[in-house]
Formats: sequence, structure tokens, C-alpha cells
Amino acid sequence: MHPYQEHYLENVREIAALGDFYGISAPDYESWYEKQLQAKARIAALREENIALLSGNLFPALDGLHAASEADIAALEEFAGALMDWTTNLDCGIYLLIHDSLLSLYRFRRDRCRVIKELYMVGMGLYYQGRSLQGIESDATKAFRFRNEMVFTEGGSYLKFFAEIADEQTKGYIIRSLANIAICSSDLARRVAISKRVLQIVQDDYYRSLAPSLPWDTFLRRTHQQMSSNRAVLSKGGLGADELAAVLESCEVVFKPESDTRTPNVRWLWPYYEMEYSCGFVDLPTTLARMERLIEDCPYDSYDVSGLYANVQLPIYYGRLVRDNPALQTKREHIRFLDRAYRKMMRTLLTCPADGFTDFFFYNICLVITDFFEIDGVESYRDITTKLMKRLTGNLYIRSRRAGELMRLCAAAIYRSDPAFFDDIDFLRVLPNGAEKEKAVADYAEQCGLYHDFGLIKMNFERLCQTRELFEGEMRMYELHTISGHDDLAARRSTAIYADAALGHHSWYNGADGYPKAYVRNASPMRQMTDLVAVVAYLNDCGAASAREAIASVIAQEHSRFSPLITAIFSDETLQAEIEAVFARQDEPCYRELYHELAGSGQKN
Amino acid sequence: MEESTLALKQQNEELRRENESLRLRLTEAQNANLAKESFLSNMSHDIRTPMNAIVGMTALAKKHIDEKGRVSDALDKIEIASSHLLSLINDVLDMSRINSGRMTVAEELFSLGDLLHETLTIVRPQAEQRQHAFRFDAEDIFAESLYGDALRLRQIYVNIINNAVKYTPEHGEIAVSVSQEESDGRCVLVFTCRDNGVGMSKDFLQRIFDPFERVSSSTLSGVEGTGLGMSIVKKLIDAMGGTIAIESAPGHGTEVIIRTPLRFESVRLNTGPLEGRRILIIEADEAMQELYRRYLGEAGLLFTIVPSSSAAVSAITEADFRGEGFSCAVLGRSVGRDGSMFELASYLHKADSTLTLVMVSDLNWGEIEYRANRSGISAFIPIPFFRKSLINGLAHALQSVESSDAVSAVPDLTGRRILLAEDNDINREIACEILSVTKAAVDCAANGREAVDLFLGSAVGGYDLILMDIQMPVMDGYAAVAQIRAAAREDAGSVPIFAMTANAFAEDIARARACGMNGHIAKPIDVNLLMQTLRQAL
Repeated sequence: MHPYQEHYLENVREIAALGDFYGISAPDYESWYEKQLQAKARIAALREENIALLSGNLFPALDGLHAASEADIAALEEFAGALMDWTTNLDCGIYLLIHDSLLSLYRFRRDRCRVIKELYMVGMGLYYQGRSLQGIESDATKAFRFRNEMVFTEGGSYLKFFAEIADEQTKGYIIRSLANIAICSSDLARRVAISKRVLQIVQDDYYRSLAPSLPWDTFLRRTHQQMSSNRAVLSKGGLGADELAAVLESCEVVFKPESDTRTPNVRWLWPYYEMEYSCGFVDLPTTLARMERLIEDCPYDSYDVSGLYANVQLPIYYGRLVRDNPALQTKREHIRFLDRAYRKMMRTLLTCPADGFTDFFFYNICLVITDFFEIDGVESYRDITTKLMKRLTGNLYIRSRRAGELMRLCAAAIYRSDPAFFDDIDFLRVLPNGAEKEKAVADYAEQCGLYHDFGLIKMNFERLCQTRELFEGEMRMYELHTISGHDDLAARRSTAIYADAALGHHSWYNGADGYPKAYVRNASPMRQMTDLVAVVAYLNDCGAASAREAIASVIAQEHSRFSPLITAIFSDETLQAEIEAVFARQDEPCYRELYHELAGSGQKN
Repeated sequence: MEESTLALKQQNEELRRENESLRLRLTEAQNANLAKESFLSNMSHDIRTPMNAIVGMTALAKKHIDEKGRVSDALDKIEIASSHLLSLINDVLDMSRINSGRMTVAEELFSLGDLLHETLTIVRPQAEQRQHAFRFDAEDIFAESLYGDALRLRQIYVNIINNAVKYTPEHGEIAVSVSQEESDGRCVLVFTCRDNGVGMSKDFLQRIFDPFERVSSSTLSGVEGTGLGMSIVKKLIDAMGGTIAIESAPGHGTEVIIRTPLRFESVRLNTGPLEGRRILIIEADEAMQELYRRYLGEAGLLFTIVPSSSAAVSAITEADFRGEGFSCAVLGRSVGRDGSMFELASYLHKADSTLTLVMVSDLNWGEIEYRANRSGISAFIPIPFFRKSLINGLAHALQSVESSDAVSAVPDLTGRRILLAEDNDINREIACEILSVTKAAVDCAANGREAVDLFLGSAVGGYDLILMDIQMPVMDGYAAVAQIRAAAREDAGSVPIFAMTANAFAEDIARARACGMNGHIAKPIDVNLLMQTLRQAL
């Protein structure tokens, strides 16, 4: 690797460490707060350094890629590999940028073997990058997955020329590209068909003889694993006997050996139990009992893959079973167990040390946010996600708390001048004007501020934003946090009223710009509050030198980006002074709150 | 005496005839007056109704001007009422033209495929809105180029289908078919529209062509219309020398058959540009596949049909490996109405620069053209298509690519001049090589300063496009563009400038736009992306 590449890697690792609030130790709050501010400043400096490293070195290297030496290309590949090692994925965006550039280069040179390799690399990069889009349904997500599938399809298409391609490593990329088409497709039947075909190929002596050096047995095992991941077809149906048999066979190959060991890996054991349930070999009570035992037997502080599976994924799957079987929802013992399991799940997630924040860990976070089943008797979605925000995205929490505080001030000012301003919102309209309504307006406004960037928690963009500026494609993904946040908030009773604020806070008042298109301002009864969130989010994040400048910038965009009904409040000098005071406090009360929660939980070093 | 008697008799006869004539004229005048009164009565109601909505809603919107939701709702209602009023006025004007003998029926060459595509594009949204099962079939089409008044035929067909849509309760079935018969050297175009809607009584059928007649039904409410449509339809068909037959019964739906004799031109297939070329058809619908097989197979053309996007990518990769690439890929109707068609087009366009992409769709081309072109789609063939419209459409697409008189993979930029600012020798050489196929003249600058000097030293309009590297010695791309845009010359603000850079940050791209560049091309240069940019910009 070149020195700038090593340097960038070091910086990324340092940012990851500094970004963990709870990784900073100090004897008392004052010194802890001081260290936090220092860490914040250091992260900002490292970010600038990273931007300069990329702009001054990587981009020119890609610019001159046609003239690059083999050694330079090898260094780029090594750099890309170090940034995405399939476990921590320090910077998937740069990995993709490099391999996408190499793909263009080799296409231009018509270097077929390298095109095949780069198609596989780009496909894998897209797959890992796309994990941040998990649970988000939008045209942009579909387009992303489509591209991913087509990249692997193109790579896999070279199978017909397997005999004609001399290089065995290239043949390996063809096989893996072909197999990975299955992981991109959302169509179960297609996934099964692809895996079935690949299973035939990797067991075919003809192909094996053409590339004897390839790890065929590893390919076989991985393909069985991919096939077994389609076990949902067992309960959903819709496939023929051959396909079902193929899925069952792979489940047997992958999961059965685990069920026979003394210390089974839950990640493989549970799917086996699940398969037995789906096939009707065991009944629901047995399945629930098995699941309860697996959850209870695993210590909460087991953070490896098996531990996270037992402590996080199984409670979520338990919740799914309760959700899908309404009869269970009336049985107190199951709800009580679900509550216990969720609490244990949260304990695992909140105590996991920062070096355990792997790609798999974030996959689990995403699963919790997307699939948590909210029901009376368990902790509310609002509470558990607030805790996750504090633990995993401390900066986001602080920023969102500041937004909440600004929202409260602005909403109060609006209420003073027009108590009926938010009366399109049903639960506010029914309240008589007075102190109770004023408080309700301010409370609601504050929570809208706190949850407006909710979608960012599971998209795991915080670290990337701290590391460097986003690329164009990443920016388009980032914009999906509005849809992601909306969909997850809207699906739960405790958070549904904040969903519109999450969806619409980047839209423009006059509709001429902003995102997403899914937000239709006039159709939302919460639009006045969302208009206010849009203003506050801008004030909070625009990076102006002072609060007064930020306010001036907001006023300059009234009628276009911002509602004139909202910007009118800034004529109130008292409010301007209050906003200035919020910024001047540098979030100290919020840090204090986090510190004391930390001290109380015993997590502080 | 006899003479006098005869004269008196003659006078009497004359007086009788005159009286008869006067009585007739009186009846006519009375009828005309009645018709006028009836017309005015009907019209005053039909005009007042939408006008009430327009006036009332405008007042309401003004009253609540700060409430966007209410204003928007009022505007929606005003839009609907205005559109209804406009169609009423159009119908009245048509009736007036017809009655005064000022209506002429044109006899111009038109494409049957285009006529039907336009008709279906207009009616399909309403049918979908009412959740009708809408089916269209075309059989025995031997004449695709016809002489007649396509505009009026469309008006007739839209009117008939719209009636079927309106007078059929939701989730109904509407089947439209078109066929042709040859008679006396002419093509009789037979249009049939069948529905399972409310139907009409015999009594009503006798009055259906009278102005202002509308079916009243207890199962349908709020059906809008002027009541002039069928009257106009009948008169237009009469003017074309055609016939209209209607069969209907209450509760049993309606079938309308319109026969219009038209002159036609024999099919001239332009297979030349397609001979020896391989065409890839991406279409999952078996009925559509059969049409392609029939039309392309009978013309002896080389084609492969694949059912999905992934099969298309595989087929193209395989063909490329064998050196037997496809010349043209047809993205069929079944390829993602949800937008994945454009994703596929982009992908294919990036993977194979020589591939001409043709979209076959029942969508409205006007609404999707921009996005389609941006995805690399060069041509559009509307559904329904027939032998000639398919083959000649494909031939035209390939010819256009070769003659570069339309959207094509490699644009012909003969006579155009491009300024290329690039400090890296190899990149400059590669860019020049890529641009050479466009036949554009290319002037090169090794840094931003040289680029500015070349631009300022050229005649106004001397450069049609500038490709600007960003990171360059002496003067970078941002500064160079700022100087070019600030120059005091006519073309300073209008000459298209594109950044060519590996700088991938979203802010870099935003900065390029902010300093006056029209777009951004990532490095290393993707040939197809560059061609696409040139095509769109020039």
C-alpha cells in the first residue's frame, strides 16, 4: 500500500474508536466532557485530513488509472481490501469506487479475465453497501438491488465459456458471481432456482476437472448455506416438490450437524429447528420452548456471532411468531417471555464493546429496528430505539436532542402568537387553548425533533459521515433515511405520530426541490409541524458560523424551501436569543445526561 | 267563364302550395325554435354546473389562501370543472361545424399502430382507475398505412371506449378489437368495443344519436358528459362513409361496431438495415413473443427472445464473448413497468456501447422520453405494433444510429468542435481517441489557463462543448470555468461544459455545478457515458 493509503486506514480506525462515546474513560464528568469535546474536534480534523488524502492522492490515482503501473493497481486493490474485509467494512464506498474504476479500465482494455474479477468485486461491494438499505422499500432501493443482481449476472454469464477461460481464479469468480445472484434477488423462487443450478455445477466433475485448484467443497458448502437461507419457502409454499426437496436437503446439510454437537452454534441450530417447525415435524409449543431455551441458555454478554444470534435475532424471531400467531398474544406467559427476551436483547446490544461493532452487529441492529414487535406488556419501540440511539449513534442523539430543544422553543413561540396554528393535528385540536395545550404542542414538537433523523440509526451512516464527505451515490442512499425513518416509526403505535416529521423534513415548502417525493405536504395533517422540523433541522446542521447567520439563511429561503408561516417567528428577538443560547451551551446538558446514564449502567470505563 | 274558373283554380292551387310551404316553414321554424330552446336549456344547465364549481371554488380558495391543503383541493376541483367545460365547448363547436356543413374530413396518410396507441394511451388510465379488465386485440391487419382523418377516428374511438368505461360499473370488462376487411380495393377498418356495463333499452337506442341524450341508470351515478358525443360520432362516421351498429340490452352490456372504408398503401418492409444483424428481444409475455416470432421470423431476420433482464445480460455477455454481438435489443412490454426497464437499459448501455436499445411499450412516450433517453434507449415502438411498424421501427432505429440523425450510440458530431482540457497525456490521448469516432474536431488544452485562452481566442460559437478536467496544474477546472462563464461574449454562458474528474465527493459534483458546469463525467472515462453525455448536450 502507498503511505497515503496506510494513513487513511489509520485515520478511519481512529475515528471508529473516538466515535464510541463509551470508549472514552475519565475519572469524573467534567474531564469526560472535556475529552468528548476533544474527541469531537479530533474527529473533525481527521475527517478533513481524510478528504485531503483522497482528493490529493486517491482521486488523482484513479484519474491516471490508464497509465497506472501494475504495482499501483495492486496497491489500490490492497487498499480496497483493507477497507472492506467482510467483517468490519471500514469504508465500503471507497472499495466500490476503486473496483468500479478498475471495471471501467478493464472494459476499456477488453481484458476479459479482469472484467470478470471486477464484476465479482463490484457485486460484493454493492451487496455490502446495500445492507444499509435493509428494510427500506423504495424505487431507489429496487434500482440498487437490480444493479447488484445484474453485475453478478454478467459475471456468472461467463459460465458458458468456462472451458475456454484458462485462468482458474477467474473461473472461481464466475462460479461465485453466479451463486451470488441469489443473494440479490428478492424472488424466492428465483433464488432457489439459482442455488439449485449452482449446486449441480459445483458437484459436476466436468467443471471440477476444468479448474481442479478451486476450493470446490467450500463452494459447495456456501451454496448449501445460500440455499438453506431460502427456508421461508417451506412455510410460504408456492414451489414444486423438487425445489422444496432441494431446500430441505441443504438445510439438512448445513444445520443437522450442529444439532448433534454438544455446543451447537445457535446460528445454525435455530434454522434447523425452524425448518422442522415449517415442515410440521414439530408443533408451535415445542418450537417456542426450544427458542426460549436457546435464548435463556446464552449469556447476555456473548457478543460473538452465535451469541448475537441467540440474544438478538432469536428474540426478534420470537416476536415474529407472536405477531403471526394472534392466539399467542392473549397468553400472558408468552408476552412475559417476549418482554424478558427483548430486555436481554437490549442488554446485549447496549453493553457490546465498540470492538464488537462489526457488520454483523449492525445487521442485528437493523433487524431490531425493522422487525421489533410492539405490543402491550413489552417495552415500547420508542424507548428501545431511544436507548439504541444513545448507545450506537451518540452524535446523532446529541444533535437530535438539540433539534428537540430548538423545536420546543420555536413551537412555544408559534403557540404564543397563534394557539390554533397546529390545529390540523387531531390530538392537538381537541385540547382547549391554555397551559395544557401549550405543553402538548411543545412536547410533541420536541419529540419530532428527536426522531426526525430516526432513519439514520439503522442505516449506519454516522461513522461514514464522520470519516469523510459522501460520494454522490452514497448521498442518494443517505436521502433514503427519510423513508426508512418514516416507515419504521409509522408501523408502531408509540412512534407513529413522529413519522411525517421523519419523512418530510428535507422536502421544500414550494415542492421545487428537496426529497423524498413520497412526502406530499398538502396531504399531511402534520405538515405545519413538519415545516417547523425542516427549519430546525436546517438551523441545526447548516454549519453557519453563528445562530444569527443560520436564521438569516433560513429567512433568505422563505417561500421556497421554508414556510413563510414558520420563518415569521424569527422576527421575535427573544426567540433568537434563546436559540443562540442553545448553541452556546454546546450540548453540555445532553452530555451530562449521557454520562450519568453511563455511570448508572456501569458501562463507563 | 271557363278560363276564369281555370285561372281561379290555378290561383287556389298556388295559394294552397304557398300555404303548405308556409306551414312547413312554420313547423321548421317552430322545430328550430324548440331545438334552440332545448339546446339553450340543456346548455345553460351543462355550462352553469361546471361554472358554479369554478366560481365557487375560486372564491373558497381566495378565502383560505394561506391554507395550502384547501387551496390545492379547490384547484383540483376547478381543474376538473374546467376540463369538463372545455370538452363541452369543443363538442358544441363540433356540432356547430357539422350542422353548418363546415366540417371536413381529412384524407391523409396515417399509421394504424400510432392511431391505436394514442387511443389506448388516452383511455387506459380511466379504465384502470375504474378497475376494469381492459383487453385489446388486433386481427388480420394487412394495411398499416391508411388514408383518412386519424384525428377524427381517434375522437370516435375514444368517445366509444370512454362511454364503455363510464357506463360499466367498477371491475367490469371491456374488450376492444380492430380488424380489417378488403372491399372494392379499400380497407374496411372494423372497430369493435364490447362491455358488460349497464346497457341500453331499445327505446333509448332509437334516440342515441340525438343531441343531449344520456343513459340514466340507478347503478351509476355522477357519470359526466355533454350528451353530444354520440351525435358527433354518428355524423363523423357518416361523413367518412362508414357505418355504426350498436347492440345492447339493459343489464347485458353493449357492443358497438364501427366500419370505416379507407384507402390504404401496401406494406413496404424495410428489412435492409436489419439483414445480417442480430436482434435481442426481452419479453416474458408469451403472446407478445409469438408476435415477434411471427413478424421477424417471416421476414427472415436473426433474432433471439429471452424472458428476463438477467437472461438478456447473459445473452449479451455470451454473444460478446463469441464476437457475435447483438446490434439491437428490444426492451419489451413485460420488462418492468415499475421502472426497472430503465435500470436494465442503463446497465446494457454501459456494458455494450454498440447496442441500439429500442423500447416497445404501451406507455405514453412523451411522458417517459427524457428518462428513456437518459437510460440509453434510442427509439420507441408503440404498442400495438404490426409487421410493418415493428420491422420498419427497428430498421429506422438502426439506420438512425448509423446515420446519426437521431439518438444513437455514437453521435455524429461532424462540423462540431470540442475543447478538451486534460493535463494527463494518456488520458488526453484516450479521450481524443474516443472522441474521434464522433468525427468532432477536438482542441486540447493541458491546463485550465490554456483552456481559457483557447476559448477566448476562438470565434463566438466556435466551441460546441467543453470537457474540463478538474485537477490541473497552473489553473484548475473550477477556476477555468469561472473565467469562461464570466467572459464578456455571447456564448460564455451557454456553451455546455462538463467536468471530467475522478473526484467522487457529492460536494465536488455540486461545486462543479455551482461554478457553472452542466454536468459531471466520472473518470476513468466510461465510453458509453461520454457518448450519452455528448448526445444529450449536442
